[in-house]
Amino acid sequence: MKREISVNINQTLLVCIILFILTIVPLGCMDRSDELDSIVFMAGYKPQANLPFIASYVAQEKGFFTVQNLNVEILHSSSGENIQLLMSGDVDITTADATTLLKRISEPGLPIKAFVLFGQDGQQAFITMADAEIQSPKDWEGLTFGYKFTVPPDYLAILKANQVDRSKINEVRVGFDPRILTEGKVDILSVFKSNEPDTINKFGFKVDIWDPSDYDIPSLGLTYIATEKTIQNNPEILRRFLKATMKAIEFIQNNPEEALDIVMKYAPDEDRDHQKYMMMTELEDGRSPLTTANGFGYMTDGQWRQLYSQLLEFGSLPNAFDYRDAFVNEFITSLYEGNQLVWP
Amino acid sequence: MRYRETKLGQKSLIVFYYLLPPITALLVVLVIWEICIRIWNTPIYIAPSPTAVFNRIFTDPIFFLSHGSVTLGEAMSGFILGATTAFLAALLMAHARFLERLLLPIAILIKVTPIVAVAPMFVIWFGFGMLPKVLIVGLITFFPVLINAIAGLKSVNSDTLDLFHSVNASNKEIFLKLRIPNALPYLFAAFRISIPLSVIGAVVGEWFSGDKGLGSVIMIAHSNLDMPTLFAAIIILGLTGIILTFISSYFESKLLFWSDTG
Repeated sequence: MKREISVNINQTLLVCIILFILTIVPLGCMDRSDELDSIVFMAGYKPQANLPFIASYVAQEKGFFTVQNLNVEILHSSSGENIQLLMSGDVDITTADATTLLKRISEPGLPIKAFVLFGQDGQQAFITMADAEIQSPKDWEGLTFGYKFTVPPDYLAILKANQVDRSKINEVRVGFDPRILTEGKVDILSVFKSNEPDTINKFGFKVDIWDPSDYDIPSLGLTYIATEKTIQNNPEILRRFLKATMKAIEFIQNNPEEALDIVMKYAPDEDRDHQKYMMMTELEDGRSPLTTANGFGYMTDGQWRQLYSQLLEFGSLPNAFDYRDAFVNEFITSLYEGNQLVWP
Repeated sequence: MRYRETKLGQKSLIVFYYLLPPITALLVVLVIWEICIRIWNTPIYIAPSPTAVFNRIFTDPIFFLSHGSVTLGEAMSGFILGATTAFLAALLMAHARFLERLLLPIAILIKVTPIVAVAPMFVIWFGFGMLPKVLIVGLITFFPVLINAIAGLKSVNSDTLDLFHSVNASNKEIFLKLRIPNALPYLFAAFRISIPLSVIGAVVGEWFSGDKGLGSVIMIAHSNLDMPTLFAAIIILGLTGIILTFISSYFESKLLFWSDTG
């Protein structure tokens, strides 16, 4: 009798051990997220086809982050709180356009840097109705100009380049609705190149686009930014994040329709054609002789110096600082051999 | 002499009884706020300390006064527009049931419409001057005045109404001497809700266009991560709302001395 009980206890123990092994071993194999480095990326606006946003969506969906051993949580900012969340440490990486980055370093003196440049040209442009028959910025005199938040330095640079008398233009803050132009409330409207021109075209209106780059005015577009602390403490994670997103850019260039499918998963209520316009416009603005030679996302000291000088000249930077504090080029240059991305 | 001393004593008592508690509470909140900011060493672009906010106000008071006066002008113009329209609508609705059934659903529709959603349209329809802001304030203040005015005009005491009828009072006399005085306490109760709402309405209107007014200041300060300016504008707005409510209560007490609410 005693022997029978002893055998039963041994059998039970054996079964327990086998069950334990069968449960734990597969769990360890299945869930690799514990081994991945976790980071939080926040896109600076709602889900849409801005190039830095799509790069993160594609890297996530095509598994490029996983290949780089990263577990990335993608969040979106709806009211511009992304830089504050970056500073508070709730977010590791976010997006910002180069001008905003320089302004925030100038005041309130945020310790942040760009580590890739998506927009070789700035996002901003100015539009007028095609039937207004405005031939040059000189014709802007006597008209009303609508801007979003503050008077953009690109606009002031265009005025200066074309010797336009600013006092003869009525400048008003009009927010973000482009119908203010089509309804005739303003004659010139500050817009994002990849957004409002297409929206207005869809309303059935034709517009003329005044691009600062046409007047050799230095402007740069969207970047990925991180705090100096993150750059110092976690450079390897940033490098792997950047590598995955640059791989995604390659994928987007070669497979734009599939990339758009991915965008629509993140932004199901958006108009696909408009998202395509946005993506293609920003892809175009992301290419330059510099990126052809050195790879997508490349940036130079000269680009940042020119932009910084212009912003300083037009009073957009309350405090002067060393513009080289605004960017770090080592991450992007370490990813390429010539202009070829080294993968993985 | 004795009467004067008594009056002075009463005044001190009123100050002690009514003003000291809220001022003390406010000071305690400000001190706790300041201590928290200092203990946690919170950066100014995340949350400013009260000293930074008040420093911002006192270093450039003209800036806040000029923008505050724009917001106040829009709020008061809109409030007068909204309250007058609401009172006239209430007169019609109280007079004819049919009109109440016809117009009240529209009034409710206005009430439930999210102003933030329609405010950008107002800029497109009415431009970026003062008009769209005044109209937004008018919309936001309309409903509380309407509902209270209807209630006040209708809820006359039946015995008093019988008395007016027994002396052959005309409809005009009943309206002017019974219904209007009866509606006044209801109207002032509505004003206590609508006046702070008018300030909020003006700020919402300013978010979407123009470069004047505290709403515009808040919007631009937010985009520049200028938290001391943002909080300073909020404090000025809060003070404006409190002062306006006190003024309304003062007029209520003077005009409605015969009423419980006065």
